[in-house]
Order: sequence, then structure tokens, then C-alpha cells
Amino acid sequence: MHRLPTLLSGIFLVFLTSWLGLVAYPALQLGRLTPVADADNGGSLPPTYGGQAIAGQRIYATEGCISCHSQQVRQTSITSSDVDRGWGARPSVARDYLRDSTAFLGSRRLGQDLTNVGVRRPDAKWHLIHLYHPSAVCEGSLMPCFSDLYLIRKIQGQRSNEALALTGDDAPQEGYEVVPTADAKNLVAYLLSLRHDYPLPEAPVKKIGAAK
Amino acid sequence: MSHHNLPHHHPAPGHEPVDNKAIDASVRLPVIILFGNAIHWLVIACLLSLVVSIKLIAPGFLGGISFLNYGRLAPMARDLMLYGWASQAAIGAGVWLMARLCGRPLGGGDGQGMGGMLLRTLIISATVLWNLAVLLGTLAIFAGYSTGVEWLEYPNWASAMLLLSFLLIGIWAVLLFDRRSNPRAEVAQWYLVAAFCWFPWVYGTANLLLTWKPVQASAQGPIQSWYCGSLLALWLLPVALASAYALLPRLLGCHMNRRHLSTLGFWMLLLLGGWNGMDRLIGGPVPAWMTSAGVVAGVLFLIPIIMISINLLGMPRNEVIVSASLPGRFLLMGLYALVIVGVIGALASLPDVSGAVRFTAFTEAKTQLWILGAISLPLFGVLYESLPQLLGRDCWCPVLSGRHYILTLVGLGMLVVLMLLGGLFTGLALADPTVSFLNITSYSYPFHLMECVAQLLLLIAMLTLGANITFALAGDYLLNKHNGK
Repeated sequence: MHRLPTLLSGIFLVFLTSWLGLVAYPALQLGRLTPVADADNGGSLPPTYGGQAIAGQRIYATEGCISCHSQQVRQTSITSSDVDRGWGARPSVARDYLRDSTAFLGSRRLGQDLTNVGVRRPDAKWHLIHLYHPSAVCEGSLMPCFSDLYLIRKIQGQRSNEALALTGDDAPQEGYEVVPTADAKNLVAYLLSLRHDYPLPEAPVKKIGAAK
Repeated sequence: MSHHNLPHHHPAPGHEPVDNKAIDASVRLPVIILFGNAIHWLVIACLLSLVVSIKLIAPGFLGGISFLNYGRLAPMARDLMLYGWASQAAIGAGVWLMARLCGRPLGGGDGQGMGGMLLRTLIISATVLWNLAVLLGTLAIFAGYSTGVEWLEYPNWASAMLLLSFLLIGIWAVLLFDRRSNPRAEVAQWYLVAAFCWFPWVYGTANLLLTWKPVQASAQGPIQSWYCGSLLALWLLPVALASAYALLPRLLGCHMNRRHLSTLGFWMLLLLGGWNGMDRLIGGPVPAWMTSAGVVAGVLFLIPIIMISINLLGMPRNEVIVSASLPGRFLLMGLYALVIVGVIGALASLPDVSGAVRFTAFTEAKTQLWILGAISLPLFGVLYESLPQLLGRDCWCPVLSGRHYILTLVGLGMLVVLMLLGGLFTGLALADPTVSFLNITSYSYPFHLMECVAQLLLLIAMLTLGANITFALAGDYLLNKHNGK
């Protein structure tokens, strides 16, 4: 081991073990998972994302949502709290991420898990207000305001039907309205599409409850 | 393969017959530039970490401005810590230690010939490229161009620049090993060769498969975890350990304890280091065997740590010498931090514990102790040891050095203890679904508040270090000017 080639081959071989197990194997096996047929409506599972949701996924990445939000429901053999909290009816499996460009698994939960946020909070209006000012709908939330994803503009003629229904301190001054930009609408479309309530062969499903 | 038949006298840096002055002169400029830049990124990273932690007690702080949101500042701080500070300081420490341990000035000869000059220019250019990549990558996250992959947020061109820059320096370090003056390599040199081989492999693979040409997302989880584990355990930690193996016995004036264990420790660390990150996916959307591997690796990782501790912490040392050597104390504290990291890691990878504390501040405490403790403390040790030798004079202000040491330990200790307790607390509350999530958030407030104080202490510590090195280098500049005239 005092000669460079011998040392290098030793290092290479030992290193190869974790590389094969955690890089090559996932890339070749998990990377080749395919969608399964949806018996109920003839489509495929997991469902594909719409164009808006795909654009919203980009915003999710660049705003760093992953710093506070995970997207994985853990196996009940490790902890039942993810399922008990209503974050998902079943644990997440690799196939769930098939349609994502990046797997936003996350490592910290300063905010709630978002695997099934589209099931738990199906209302786009709620999300638009929540992103604009989280405390308005979640008292005591740590989430920052994403007001940069909105425009505050003077009402021209009639009030836009996209304008947020804000009250109290959040409401803009008289004659003005707060409307979401395309980025805000795309992000909400992405959040609403986060629904992993369908069954997969390796992950059968139970009915999902409301978030606690 | 082993050191059995080696005499106890072992050529440690400072003891070789080769002229250390010539070696130091040949690497002086690159190493100082690497350390100098690393420290200014460290200060900025600590400042950002403070802002980030304030945002957890006052979400409205610097609010409403998209580029100052938590989701952008937090990865900026983390990446600056990893690539701006730790990796860059590790390259600096690696270049100096490699040159010293191999007993060869840069470029051969006396290090002042054409080859030496060319290599110095190459390393300095690579360093400029590295810092440019860190700067532009950070600004890109700031401006909303993050990739959204944890620890790999830099856009593709910035990560490509980092990799290229590293290759320019790393190849030289590995080749230097081949031309060393002492035919028998020390374990410190093995760690350095390994580290310099691993970074490009780890960083290149992870970027290729996660950001440059992403594989299907269902496969990304394990690769991501492998990257986080390997970056710490196979790139930064080996450099920190090389520093400890190379410097500690000499600084403390004693021989390594049970030398034969160092070889075994090295190979065990290699074998387990890559699996060590899998505790990030216990119970996650991966095949069950990967969860098991994460648990096993987390616990087994204690074995190489114990072997390394027997080698270096088991040395019969003279406490008077220890208290007189600041670099020695930094290196020792780094090793103690590693032992604690090992224990926390083993605990956190037990399925029941992981189920409760994963995703809480508990995991974050471990990461902080890895980066700021097991990795940064030894790097500080190398810095305090190398700079006076590189400059050829006593350059540190003892008061500032002492303050930096104390403040770093107090700040880090406080931060880690708070995060462990806060994480444990949150974890237990999360296990009870009748306690609402917002309720749990409000329980964490006191912990978050105290974490701000800890982050502030760390910022002051790093500012002290920044002032210390500024005075050291400015003093050198003034001295040169004076002598020149």
C-alpha cells in the first residue's frame, strides 16, 4: 500500500461498494420503474402533471421549499406518525416520484409534509392566500410571505376575478387589488397536483383523513 | 501494507531531513490564498446562518423580498459552509500537508524553478476559478436559479466550474504522492490521496445524475443521500483526519497509540463512509434493504471512529503541552466532536429513534456538528499551525486566537445541544397526532430563540478569526514593505 497504484486500486475497490449499491443500483433499477395501468379510468399511475404544474415545480425548486417541507410519507414499520397525522394514506414508494423532474424528498420539516397537500387542501384560493400571507390562514405559521409572486395594482374598471379576498391588515389600500402572477398560479397548480392517494401494486391504499 | 516493522521514529512534518523552508516557500502563496478565501466565506456563511435562524423566531424579518426568503438563504448558507469554507480550507490544508509529508517542494528541486512557478500559477488559477464558482453559484441561488437539489443547489455551469477547478489541484496532489521522498507512506498520506480522489468522483457522479442529466426521480433519493454522506465522510473528514494524524503526535510530543489500528480504521472508514448517508432515508421511498443498510452503516460507523480515537485520543499526552498548543487543542476537539457525531449518528439511525427525530432539528444538530465540529475544528488547527510556518514568523495575536477557540466551542456546543433537545422535543410531540403541527411550532420557539444566540456567538467567533488572519497577513505585508525599503 505504499505504492500509488496499489493504494489507488484499494481505494477504488472499497469505494466501489457504496457506489454500486447506492448509485448504480438505484440508477439502473429504480430509474427504470414504469407507470402502472390505472384500473379505474384507464389512465396510468402515477398520474402525469399538467403544464402549469410542471412550471410550478420549477418555482418549488428555486424558492427552496425543500428547506422546510418534505415530500415523503415514511413506512409504518419505522413510524406511524406520518400516516396518523394525515400526511398520507399510505407510505411513499419509489414509483410515486416517477413523474417528477427532481425528487423533493426533503430532510427537514419546519413546515408540514406536502406529499398529499393536494388531497388535504384541494382549494386553490386557500393556497393563493396562504402563499401571499401564511399567517392570514394559519395563525402562528413560520412560513415566509411569498408576496413577490403577486402584483398589487390599481383596479382598472372592474375588480379582477383573480384578485385575492384579503381582509384586515392584509387587504391592499382602497382601489387596489392583489393578483397572483403566473408563477404563483403555477406553484399552486403544482401543489394541488401533489396527490398520492392512488393505490400502486407495491403500496395499497386506505382512505385518507383530514390533516391534523 | 502495514507499519509493523517501522521504527518508532516516523517522519512527521517538521522532522524530515528535507528543507521544510523550501517546501513552505513553494506552497506559501496558494495555501494562503485558499485559507484566506475560505475564511471570508465562513464569515459570510455564519452571517447568513444567523439571519436564517432569526427568521425562525420572526418570520417577517427581512420579509416580503423574494431573494431574502428562508428557502434561498438557508441553502446559500449551507453551500457556502460546504464549498466556500470547508472544501476550500480542506484543499489548502491538503496541499500544505501533502507537500510537507511527501517532502517535496512544488515542482521539484528547490521549488523556485520553472516547474514550481507553473504549478503555483496553476493552483492559484484553479483557486480563483473555485471562488468564482462559489460566488456565482451563491448569487444564482439568491436570484432564483437554484436546482432545488439539497447541497447541490448551484446551477450546472457553477458546479462544472467547481469540479474542473478541483481536478486541476487534485491531480497534482495525487501525483505528488507518487514522487514523495519517504518510500513508506504514512496513514495521513493515504487519507489525503483518498480524499483527493473521492471529491471529483462523488461530486461528479452526484451532479451528473442529479442536476446535469438527472436520472428518473424515483432513483434520486438514494443518490442524494449517498452524496451527502460521502461528501462529509469521504472527502472532508479524511482531510481532517489526515491533519490529526500528521500533526497531533508531533504537536503533543508523543507517539500514536496502537499504530496497527490506523490501517484498519482507514479501510473501515472507506468502506462505511459511503453508506453513512443512508440514515437520511430510513423508512423512506427506497427498497427495504436500503433502510436496513442505513441503520447498519450508522451503527457500524462507530467502529472506525473508535479505532481512530484509540490511535489519537488514546495517546498518553502531557496536559501542559496540550494547553500550550492551540492547533493541538483544535485538533483534539475535532476528534472529540467526531466521537460525539458517531454516537449521535448511531443513535439516530436506530429505527425507533429515527422514526421520532428524523426531519427535526436533531438531524440538523448532527450535520452542524459534522461540518463545524469534526471537520472545521481540525481545519482551524491546520490553519493555526501552518500560517506561522508559511510566513516564517509568529503571526497570530494570542488574545484573538484564544477568543476564537473559546467562542467557537461555546457557540457550537450551545447550538448542538439546543438542536438535539429541540429535535427530541419536537419528535416526541410529532409522534402524538392529537398535537397540532402549529402547536409544535410554537413549542419550538424557545429553542429557536436560543439558537439565534448560539449562531451569534459563532459569527463573533469567525469574525475574530477573520480579524486575526487579516492582522497576520497585513503585518506580513507591512513587514515586507519595510524590509524592501
